[in-house]
Amino acid sequence: MPGQRHRFGILRCLLPILFSSLISLSGCGKPSGPTAEPDYNQPYPPEPGGTLISASIAEPSGLIPMISGESAASAIASNIFNTLLKYDKNLELTGELAKSWDVSSDQKTITFHLKPNMQWADGAPLTSDDVLFTWKLVTDDKTRTPYGADYKLALKAEAPDPLTFRVTYPQPYAPALDSWAGLQILPKHLLKDEDINTTAFARHPVGSSYYQLADWRHGESLTLVRNPKSTQGPARIEKLISRIIPDTATQFLELLANNIDYMGLDPIQYARVFPSRPDLNKKIALYKELGNNYTYLGFNLKHKPFDDGRVRRAINYAIDKQELIDGVLLGLGEPVASPYKPGTRWANPELKPYPYDPEKAKALLRSAGFEDHDGDGILDRNGKPLAFEILTNNGNKQREMSAVLIQRRLKEIGIDVSIREVEWASFIERFIKTGDFDVVVLGWSLSLDPDQYSIWHSSQQGPGQFNFIGYSNARVDKLLEQGRLELDPDKRMKIYHEFAKILLEDSPIVYLYAGYGLPAIHRRVKGIDNPAPPAGIGWNSYDWYIPEPLRRNEIAP
Amino acid sequence: MSKYLLKRLFWMVPLLVGISLISFLIMHLAPGDITTTEAGFNPKTSQESRQKLREMYNLDKPLLVQYGMWLKRMSTLDFGRSFASHQRPVFWQVTDDKGNVTKGMIQEALPITLLINILSLSLILVVALPLGVVSALTQNRLPDRTITLFVFIGFAIPGFWLALILMYWTGVMHNWLPISGMHSLGYENLGTWGQFVDFMKHLLLPVLISALSGLAGISLFVRNGMLDVLHQDFITTARAKGLPESQVVFRHALRNALLPLITILGLAIPGLIGGSVIAESIFAIPGMGKLFYDAVLMRDFPVIMGILTIGSALTLLGNLIADLAYAWADPRVRRGVMQ
Amino acid sequence: MKQTMTKALSNPLALCGFLIIATILLLALFAPLIAPYDPNAINVKAILLSPSSAHYMGTDGLGRDVWSRMLYGARISLLVGIVAVGIATLIGVVLGALAGFYRGWVDIFIMRMVDVMLSIPTFFLILAVIAFLTPSIWNIMIVIGLTSWMGVTRLVRAEFLSLRNREFVMASQTLGARDFRLIFTHLLPNSLTPVIVSSVLGVASAVLVESGLSFLGLGVQAPQASWGNILTDGKEYIQFAWWLSLFPGLAILITVLGYNLLGEGLRDVFDPRSSKTNL
Repeated sequence: MPGQRHRFGILRCLLPILFSSLISLSGCGKPSGPTAEPDYNQPYPPEPGGTLISASIAEPSGLIPMISGESAASAIASNIFNTLLKYDKNLELTGELAKSWDVSSDQKTITFHLKPNMQWADGAPLTSDDVLFTWKLVTDDKTRTPYGADYKLALKAEAPDPLTFRVTYPQPYAPALDSWAGLQILPKHLLKDEDINTTAFARHPVGSSYYQLADWRHGESLTLVRNPKSTQGPARIEKLISRIIPDTATQFLELLANNIDYMGLDPIQYARVFPSRPDLNKKIALYKELGNNYTYLGFNLKHKPFDDGRVRRAINYAIDKQELIDGVLLGLGEPVASPYKPGTRWANPELKPYPYDPEKAKALLRSAGFEDHDGDGILDRNGKPLAFEILTNNGNKQREMSAVLIQRRLKEIGIDVSIREVEWASFIERFIKTGDFDVVVLGWSLSLDPDQYSIWHSSQQGPGQFNFIGYSNARVDKLLEQGRLELDPDKRMKIYHEFAKILLEDSPIVYLYAGYGLPAIHRRVKGIDNPAPPAGIGWNSYDWYIPEPLRRNEIAP
Repeated sequence: MSKYLLKRLFWMVPLLVGISLISFLIMHLAPGDITTTEAGFNPKTSQESRQKLREMYNLDKPLLVQYGMWLKRMSTLDFGRSFASHQRPVFWQVTDDKGNVTKGMIQEALPITLLINILSLSLILVVALPLGVVSALTQNRLPDRTITLFVFIGFAIPGFWLALILMYWTGVMHNWLPISGMHSLGYENLGTWGQFVDFMKHLLLPVLISALSGLAGISLFVRNGMLDVLHQDFITTARAKGLPESQVVFRHALRNALLPLITILGLAIPGLIGGSVIAESIFAIPGMGKLFYDAVLMRDFPVIMGILTIGSALTLLGNLIADLAYAWADPRVRRGVMQ
Repeated sequence: MKQTMTKALSNPLALCGFLIIATILLLALFAPLIAPYDPNAINVKAILLSPSSAHYMGTDGLGRDVWSRMLYGARISLLVGIVAVGIATLIGVVLGALAGFYRGWVDIFIMRMVDVMLSIPTFFLILAVIAFLTPSIWNIMIVIGLTSWMGVTRLVRAEFLSLRNREFVMASQTLGARDFRLIFTHLLPNSLTPVIVSSVLGVASAVLVESGLSFLGLGVQAPQASWGNILTDGKEYIQFAWWLSLFPGLAILITVLGYNLLGEGLRDVFDPRSSKTNL
């Protein structure tokens, strides 16, 4: 058939066209990385300029932090807005917009003294009036913020002069200082006639900190440039670009291809991929910092047999925390014994995690009445086997792996554990709010302020409240109440050290581990404080710099 | 004809109500709403403020009341605003009294998804037509078998796996193509042509990946259609008349074999606006799939409803247009419709 | 039936497909006998080992043997595919039969339901339902099944409509055969062939859908292995721990390919139009 050959011809021309177009397209792009790698290790003096590109999994929904609470938003907003106070590199409170602050002798009134001559990025003066305005916003019922509760506790707030802001509480409230390190101050002159919930300001913010928003390309990237009027002095790096890349595998490829400078690694990438690739280590430096949260195994204290402290402690002894850290985190984490960051003043240095001791675990269980009466390998009491379900939310690899390892260890001492993973919203609605669970594997943040009233106080057990495991201990209640009233850091420290000690003995949860944050940063970025202080690698990011010879080639006009 | 059209349009109303009801019920299959997301599980947020939010969104009302409110708004084509904290309009932009324009979420996500899908559909057609024809003409012989195997491999390969391999190969090992995103940094400094090339380079892999999986369907459709037509009497007649084979194949057979393709294209419309969650996540493209997926995870009900409703409405419309086009192209059907 | 099978398998591609599926089914069936390790046994000391004689396909991030997980994963992946398609086929056949047999309002109602379901982007629907329910293996099978019956319904209905007017059906109807009997003894058996083809092809799609759901974290949940979630586990380390993604990727590819080849081969034989083509 003559026609047939003809049609093969079509195919034959088509494929080369496709491929040649593929190659020619790629041919027109000039390589973005220079062929000769510069020497990243020689010392370079600090100089301003350059661009740092990072990747974010999600796009911020807006840049007004009290409205958009998600981490994608606060990571960027914290470069734009300032708070009255901040945490320094050792996680101690220090002034940001405030030069200093004093607490009245009855501990009910806090007076902040603002730094003089501060300006917003648009040149308008930044005064205590803006602080007062922000307080009014966050406490306004019409503002759709979940964070209002702390600020509503204040009886009144006033701005007697442009550099003074005073807030008065009906009774001493120690977490107040922490709360003022969390409220980013907004400009009154731009927002006073706006509806804070829907204002266009959320996408065109004007702030006072190191950077200002230059460009927001929907779904693609946000670009910040240096704010020349920064209240904190100038940053060194000229531009921060945050690219939105939802998939972490893609992010990693972009890092390898030298298209982003900064990303958080997972333990496998950190401990396995990098050591096997010396070429990567030449370009990319790895850092370690203490993470912001810990993973725990929590018991439903209203369910038998978890009401029995011996059972809880037995399970604590039966779990090998080091194995979890080695297995789940490849060694990149540490055990904790209190809900505070190790190395900060609130963490009680005397407390040690329960060691792995299966014999002690068995003995404790025996004393609680659990023995293997029927010889099926599972302990039982009154004919009921010691069996329960560990519940965790899906999509969190580390929690899932922890649950599996725990399951095996508990099996060894005769506890039959099953694992169930549930999608987050159902997890909360169906199980947590209704109290319909035995044991959960979840995480809490290692809070900077020691107040943990909402998590451990016995009054906080209602549906939707955070003491969902039903912990109730009169002494702990008392300590938590005292801690809230005490503004003196040293006295507070004693209170919370005792609190953490009781918590550890009671073992309402088993602290599993606190993982490290594992940032990988391109070696072109200099000025990084290594090893990271308690506040993390980014605490002085405004002092980072990228020497001119190491900067990425950008497409020039 | 117009009666037929009216009847079809009339049928769309109950269908759309049915679709929206199904969507609405699915959303409320499981407990949880926007205030239960992981970010909301933060000791700094209080139960009262979450309850307050719930009331603001009317989530405390009975299900049927909520559905009624939604229907009522829909009757004025108001898709509402997102439950997310930015509260952007779901569908189209709104301008506030100061002249600030807030773009709609679907409005921003739809163009890129449409573009990628139209490009990939075009690529599919360009490749699948010759493949299908060659397959049909060499039925059960080597070229046919090779083509069948090739298109099936394209269908069977898990897209995200291939995508990651290609990204590594073309982006990390060789620096031929960008890995993800839609524009290079410094894109705005390029000339018009440079911008176009840059954009196309970013789209190349996503389009290729999504085309690959659709190749099998269309090329087999063309193959089987051709086989079907090639054995009909009028082709035999044409051959008997001594027409050249190429003329028989192209003028007579292919034309008739392609007619049913119109229907297939009509059915492809939900896919066109649907977008692929997976491809969009991997390639960091802010399209419809990603929008929907994020809305599902956040329980952002107005967005979910908006996308499902618009998607379904467009699909119904697409089917209608496909039927009309088919009728217009095929006189036999046209007569049937007119009657 | 036997004859058509033999005929289908004379097509080398269909034969290939058949052999692939048979092999994988056997491997899945005898997984406990073949697998050298417990698929869920974690070994912290053997994390991410590359393939060797001890671990033919290496180990994963928890030190589990990938080959053993692949074997058990085959069970899950195939089960998901087959049960989901079973559900879809059952619904499709029943509704299609009702619509095609009774016509009139029943037909209109059922076909409108088909239209409704076809108008909602299917993957979106599956995604939403799985996310809102919990992603267990049963939910996944049921949801894929409940969202993919429309094709079968149309096929069966079309077959019924054409069969109803054939002489043998008319004859038995005039002889007073009951509807029920008519449907089951005459109409159904005669309209099953296209259903079989579409079911075989459906399994292929379901396996792919499961892997897609796994990518989004909504697939079969750990520690249960499925090819989809093994592949997803491996995607972060595609250049380093290549064995984690290569083997499940190939397994999915080969299986889906196998079902497609077999399905197309069967279609070629069943479809009278293309079977009379060997002029």
